[in-house]
Amino acid sequence: MKIEGTHELRASRDRVFKALTDPAVLQRSIPGCERLEQTAENSYSVTLRAGVGSIKGTFTGNVGLEDVQPPSHFRMGIDGKGQPGFLKGSGELDLEERDGATIVNYKGDVQVGGTIAGVGQRMIQGAAKMMASQFFTAIEAEAKTEANEPPPKHGFFRTALRWLSGWLHRTFKK
Amino acid sequence: MIPAQFDYLSPQTLDEAVRLLGEHTDEAKILAGGHSLIPAMKLRLAMPQILIDLGRIRDLSYIREEGDQIRIGAMTTYYEIESSERLREICPLLPETAAQIGDVQVRNKGTIGGSLAHSDPAADLPAAIIALGAEMVAVGANGERVIKADDFFVDLMTTALDAGEILREIRITAPKQGSGQAYLKMPQPASGFAVVGVAVTLTRDQGGACQSAGVGVTGVASKAYRATGAEAALVGSSLDEQAINAAAATISDGVSLNGDLFASAEFRKHLAEVYARRAIQAAASRAK
Repeated sequence: MKIEGTHELRASRDRVFKALTDPAVLQRSIPGCERLEQTAENSYSVTLRAGVGSIKGTFTGNVGLEDVQPPSHFRMGIDGKGQPGFLKGSGELDLEERDGATIVNYKGDVQVGGTIAGVGQRMIQGAAKMMASQFFTAIEAEAKTEANEPPPKHGFFRTALRWLSGWLHRTFKK
Repeated sequence: MIPAQFDYLSPQTLDEAVRLLGEHTDEAKILAGGHSLIPAMKLRLAMPQILIDLGRIRDLSYIREEGDQIRIGAMTTYYEIESSERLREICPLLPETAAQIGDVQVRNKGTIGGSLAHSDPAADLPAAIIALGAEMVAVGANGERVIKADDFFVDLMTTALDAGEILREIRITAPKQGSGQAYLKMPQPASGFAVVGVAVTLTRDQGGACQSAGVGVTGVASKAYRATGAEAALVGSSLDEQAINAAAATISDGVSLNGDLFASAEFRKHLAEVYARRAIQAAASRAK
């Protein structure tokens, strides 16, 4: 399956590139990333709990960066498997600076197999687009954060707020 | 084909269901008709630890009129919508759409609320709900709120419902007398899901020109959407062939199209235009 897309990030190219290749940032920004460990230079072992709606699965695998040309280009390879199926693929990321913003173009080819490919084939492209969009939104927030500031929180605020309001409601109802 | 282990809760009231969901927000899923969730659980693509079944709650299944509003309970089945004589008179788009969903087994068990909350990108009812400009009533720990159809579908299988909210009712302003409606779809031959589906509702003024138009599209993108370009092209036109073709040509403007093994994005774009044209023609011929 071919996947491609373009995202505009309102941050400088150097910072976006740095964010995209920083393991700590990646761990915070990849949707559902539970674990990301560096195994060698530009090579990581990851555990993802990924999914949309009620469909969720845990994947473990490896991510490798190749042909790294700061700050404009790298190639990313992924290889993972989990209970719902497996995926394997690679893609090129190109970063372009335009009016102080960064245009990220990605283009890749991914093979998906197993149950998820058998019954969820019609959804895979949509799910990939949705996760890419969440990922780049998070990377944008990371790239905008100054070095001495605490890292941004992605989607946690809403969860915390919901929990708090539910708790207040339950407590004062009694 | 055997699901992972889960606990089953069957609240007797909606308040109880909301409370249970509040206690188990992260582990629980709401069970309505179960014709999307249960197959996903059997394939272990979904493994909720708890199911909260709305099936025992009385009075979530109804089709009522209140003033000029039609109110449909979230647990009303597709079959009940399809076979409602009253809906066929006052809002034929809903029975026409419901009749085209899946097969008899699915229509006997599947519910309008389940379909909307699940928000499958190829489900049929979301297109009709958008074309009709419906409102969704959600209930959560902090009470009720009303969500407009245009805001309800957020992304692939993602709605504006919070994790602790349950969809309770769908409200539709009854279309004006003499409005023309139609839902046409190209079904995926194996699953029956819409490869593309277009729902249209139109009214004419006394001179026969198009006075208002609602166009909802499903199957084409990661969520059902309103084709605002097509609506704008129709309103004020005489609904002749040229106007209909111009409106249909804009049906997937500004949308990131789905592609899968069955239909590439290019093919879907073409299908969407063809089905939009046919659906608008059908609605126009029915509008008096």
